[in-house]
Amino acid sequence: MLVLTRRANQSIVVNGDIVITVLEVRGDQVRLGIKAPRHVTVHREEVHAAIEAENRQAAAAAAAPPLPRPPAAADGD
Amino acid sequence: MPDVLVASTRFGELQIADDELLELPSGLLGFETFRRFALLDHDGSGTYYWLQSTDEPDLAFLAVVPWPFFPDYEPEIDDDVEHALELTDAADAQVLCLVTIRAADDDPERTVISANLLGPVVVNLRTRVGAQVVLHDAKWPVRAELVGA
Repeated sequence: MLVLTRRANQSIVVNGDIVITVLEVRGDQVRLGIKAPRHVTVHREEVHAAIEAENRQAAAAAAAPPLPRPPAAADGD
Repeated sequence: MPDVLVASTRFGELQIADDELLELPSGLLGFETFRRFALLDHDGSGTYYWLQSTDEPDLAFLAVVPWPFFPDYEPEIDDDVEHALELTDAADAQVLCLVTIRAADDDPERTVISANLLGPVVVNLRTRVGAQVVLHDAKWPVRAELVGA
């Protein structure tokens, strides 16, 4: 892992086209701004990890058990 | 274009027509190298679908159309994603949430079936291109239990 130290308003450039800026440091929180090309996705790590883990669990289903039918529409048309 | 043949683990030999094929250029999170899938209706009801990899016979995902179970679901799709998927007409969009089946934490005999509302798969049915989107709003759960009628 590359480790860099930054102050507020300092930035890091990744791959020449992604810029991460420390906007504010307040207490134990750091506010980061990320500028990236449109096709580059940026997410909180724990969210990304949670979705990956859920995908892996989803892939493990060998077959479907009886699946719930959706509740009937309330307005019954 | 000839049909694609897949010797799938779950469904046996499948013949996939062009209009059942999907391309996910970024795959799914954790499965980025698997880009080609068949979109198969699980039981003809238009509620549950399977995303069967056409490259890996053992890889398939059960998915559900969210609104019959979660009528208030409002996934906010970024402009960048809409642009990447060429979604100019909302009628072309199909949203599918991946389903997981697991034993309940409090009762291993009970099966919990849940949908991932935080990371829906958005598909452009016209172009047959899709992507798994990570929503920014943390209120959507990664495990929303499907409770039947």
